[in-house]
Amino acid sequence: MNEIIIGIDLGTTNSEVSVIEQGKVTIIKDGDKKMLASFVGIDDAGQVIVGEMARNQYLVYPERTIKSIKRLMGQDSQVVLADQAYTPQEISAIILTRLKGIAEQYLGQTVSKAVITVPAYFSDAQRQATREAGEIAGLDVVRMINEPTAAALAYGAMQAEEKKVLVYDLGGGTFDVSVVNMQDGVVEVLSSHGDNHLGGDDFDQQIIEFLVDHIQKTHGIDVHSHSKAMARLTRAAEEAKFLLSDQPYAQINEEYLLEHEGAAVHLSLELSRMAYEEMIEDYINATIDATHTALKGAKLTAPDIDEVILVGGSTRTPCIRERLFNDFGFEPHSEVDPDLCVAMGAAIQAAMINGQEVDTVLVDVTPYTYGTSAIGVLDGQPYPFMFVPVIHKNSVLPNRKADAFATSYDGQDTVEITIYQGEDPDALNNVKIGEFLVEGLLDVARGNVVTLTLGLDLNGLLNVSAVEKETGLEKSITIKNALSQFEGEALDAAQQRITSLFGQLDPRVIDADTLQSSIVSDAPEIAAARELIIKAEGLFAKVSDEDKEDMAGLIEIMRTCIEAQNIEGLDEPSAQLTDIIYYLES
Amino acid sequence: MNTAYEILDVATTANDVGIKQAYLRLVKDNPPDRDQEKFQLIHNAYTAIKDHKSRVSYALFMLPETSFDTVIDQMLQTEHPANFSAELVNQLLRASVDDATLLNIIATPKK
Repeated sequence: MNEIIIGIDLGTTNSEVSVIEQGKVTIIKDGDKKMLASFVGIDDAGQVIVGEMARNQYLVYPERTIKSIKRLMGQDSQVVLADQAYTPQEISAIILTRLKGIAEQYLGQTVSKAVITVPAYFSDAQRQATREAGEIAGLDVVRMINEPTAAALAYGAMQAEEKKVLVYDLGGGTFDVSVVNMQDGVVEVLSSHGDNHLGGDDFDQQIIEFLVDHIQKTHGIDVHSHSKAMARLTRAAEEAKFLLSDQPYAQINEEYLLEHEGAAVHLSLELSRMAYEEMIEDYINATIDATHTALKGAKLTAPDIDEVILVGGSTRTPCIRERLFNDFGFEPHSEVDPDLCVAMGAAIQAAMINGQEVDTVLVDVTPYTYGTSAIGVLDGQPYPFMFVPVIHKNSVLPNRKADAFATSYDGQDTVEITIYQGEDPDALNNVKIGEFLVEGLLDVARGNVVTLTLGLDLNGLLNVSAVEKETGLEKSITIKNALSQFEGEALDAAQQRITSLFGQLDPRVIDADTLQSSIVSDAPEIAAARELIIKAEGLFAKVSDEDKEDMAGLIEIMRTCIEAQNIEGLDEPSAQLTDIIYYLES
Repeated sequence: MNTAYEILDVATTANDVGIKQAYLRLVKDNPPDRDQEKFQLIHNAYTAIKDHKSRVSYALFMLPETSFDTVIDQMLQTEHPANFSAELVNQLLRASVDDATLLNIIATPKK
């Protein structure tokens, strides 16, 4: 039996971990939840918290909580969490460490390998950052597969006849669309397109701005500078969005949102689905345009498509179904849970790589064109940076293509090769992803041939080599290294930093016997108490000073008990606090 | 070096549907994730002969160099090579090539 490989959907809003058991996909639950909220926080005790607890804490301590980190992946930026700066890779690694822990607890063995899904339209830098996050979490990322493709795999396992399928994947932060052909147990991706910064978060943002405007107008206050109030508006906007999936109107009530000149500011207004759909219309239009770009890339038109599959929580927005119905003439499918099918596909692919029998295999394409620049003619003018595509968008992976280039002047002994990713005929408008020099060429007349070969592997990592035809002189690079921000020592340091956040426990070296007790750092009673404290603190803004004082006193006692791991001592204050909360909320 | 037809294990008379089925069967047994090199070989073979147009190009590519030389010689003697018709090329090839299989592919009309 090979070492187990888990499948992970590392989402903007939620993440899941899955595995194949006896030929069936299992989404591994954390307690009773299949989804882990992609929130990371530091609690009162300085311990890292992930998931629902962190999501709740966000309302009270936004400065100690990070959400939607996926949107920053691949950027050279840092986020501040409880006064410490972290890279997006490190924050993602915390989520991955938690998922790894959930899987280890369920499987009763250590896990060190994973297939992680990424948006199809993720760039090289974003993929590399995801791989690094895995490494920091002690996971060897054996493969990254594209999210819409993973979803197609989950559906493909159920298909018998040949079908052309369009996968519309709108998540919390990213949008992907892929056209796939399903036939004889093979899922062939024909084209992919997308937008790395378009998702449910943007819809929330529209509602938030609407609420902020409303408060500005009615109370003359700019809420932007009140981080706690903003956190509550964020949650309220998200809840309104969920309600509008099923109802024509949503009532938004946030009492004691903030204090202004000694008076409490309450928010109460109604948002109609129609008004909401108007707010997000531009985003929806962009996704529909991308859908047609993907069709064109597959050399198909809407009538050629047999099925449309909806993936991602944001596809619950009713107007998306309507728009797709108008374009394709039939109802989109969402039988496999839109929140879970990506994770299911990741598990199927993991099993396949592990040599297990699977019903469906996958052939994917690159969503980007890769090439170099050369002297050419652009808009009728000689131009030194004309983009010369070598591997075209929607080429099957893995792929290897070569193209011949010639030196441009006599005695040229050096060529500078720059590699770009993009579609623009002007190379400078594309993303530069690597460059190198080939030196010591023959001293001959111009026209000396140098062959450039690009090899793109299944993970979207690029190998580039240049060979002088006459002599065989060769120079090559792997773009992976050119982009990596974490090599050697930096990676080790990041690993240690993240590991230390999880207490003294190193999640990479645990034997199965101690798993049960050590992975779950908190006893259930203590975890419940922490949740209760967060909930109580969330109510502070709404309650009278007297109640607040009582609650603060109880919280103080509970914290002391938590610190001492005194579970019995928690009973009394927990019960009292629960009563107060119950009384306040009723 | 095997031909694309040999790699996919199909007859030189196979049509689009037969070639696609043979390709998918091979992919099922040799997924890209298990052996990238082998998959690339299979995929390149498929791309080379997947439809009529590509089969014609492939056949031309596979012709012995001498027959190309004949065509090029003829074209060099023409004053306006751009006007050199595909039909004329075909005729020339037919006259100079004895590889019946390849000729057969070129001459097979589109289904």
